[in-house]
Amino acid sequence: MTFRFQDYRTLFLGASLISVLLAASPVLSTVVSFPRGGERFSELWLLGPNHMAEDYPFNVRVGENYSVYLGLSNHMGEAMYYAVYVKFRNQSQPLPNSTLSQPSSLSSLYELRAFAADGGTWEKLVTFSFLEFSRFGNSSFVKGLVINDQVVHVDSSAVWDVEHVGLYYQLFFELWLYDVPLQGFVFHNRFVGIWINMTG
Amino acid sequence: MLSATKLRFFYAMVLFFVLSWVLMSSVFASSNRELAFYSISEAEQSVALAYDAVLNAERAGANVSGLLVRLNDAAGLLSEARMAFEAGNFDESVRLSRLSSGIGGQVWDEAETLRVEASDAAADRVWLFFAESVLAVAFVLFASFAGYLYFKRWYYRRLLKMRPRVGQV
Repeated sequence: MTFRFQDYRTLFLGASLISVLLAASPVLSTVVSFPRGGERFSELWLLGPNHMAEDYPFNVRVGENYSVYLGLSNHMGEAMYYAVYVKFRNQSQPLPNSTLSQPSSLSSLYELRAFAADGGTWEKLVTFSFLEFSRFGNSSFVKGLVINDQVVHVDSSAVWDVEHVGLYYQLFFELWLYDVPLQGFVFHNRFVGIWINMTG
Repeated sequence: MLSATKLRFFYAMVLFFVLSWVLMSSVFASSNRELAFYSISEAEQSVALAYDAVLNAERAGANVSGLLVRLNDAAGLLSEARMAFEAGNFDESVRLSRLSSGIGGQVWDEAETLRVEASDAAADRVWLFFAESVLAVAFVLFASFAGYLYFKRWYYRRLLKMRPRVGQV
């Protein structure tokens, strides 16, 4: 196989063009931007009082203090402003709807707010206790809770669960995200919670 | 013994003071509530504006980790203020929301400064990259052209030195 001079010239032109692009790459990098790969999401978790995924408060009594660690992690690509709304429900009251990305219609008892850098985490110890609990036959009523030393009023009732043997309530945490254009928080479709069996 | 007229006057005065006290206390409670509500709204806005400024600074390339720590403090105070408001503790709510507003304002100032610095640094960097690229492209073009001329001369010189070969037809 023999090369003609025109072939060499084409080779020269190609090599020169690549070299020019390489030489201009610093300034091109400031003009051309590539979309950020990967999914953007936030994590929300609850840990037990020993900072492990165990020993969550379950059988609870009035007047005793319980605690859980609430944590979140930001993978949204930039700093985020979060709100966590603490809600309390019985077995028949609504949870957030993950399919429709809608929060629970129950009102928030307590709120926490946090900022997290991209890739950063935030964690807070949440303590709670029950102030008032009454039981009439198969029904029970919870009237007051203390969350992080703040007394909050709840009016929630539960009936005896024959299948799981107990009076069950759920304390759950919804994650909301601040939307700058909307100038308000929007539900981020994340929630975590613990089931509580009121024993007295 | 008090006469009936004086007694009536005494009762009227007592009633007047009781009603005044109830009215005044409800007016003060209402104004406290309004003040707390206004302070919370102000703090909400201050923190939101600070967050927006921090986002802009971050997008300009500034390191905002220190500002986020302080914004977390402001957000914590704001949520405590809101909880105090819900509990009817309006004085505490005003105090906490004012603290939150103060931090929000400071963070906004610093974020703006950082954003301007980061934007200036980015503009300087663009100029530096531009100058580097122009020099590098000029060098590459010059070297390519010189190399091409050298190669062309070498190619034709080698071609002239070749002997023609006579082949059979």
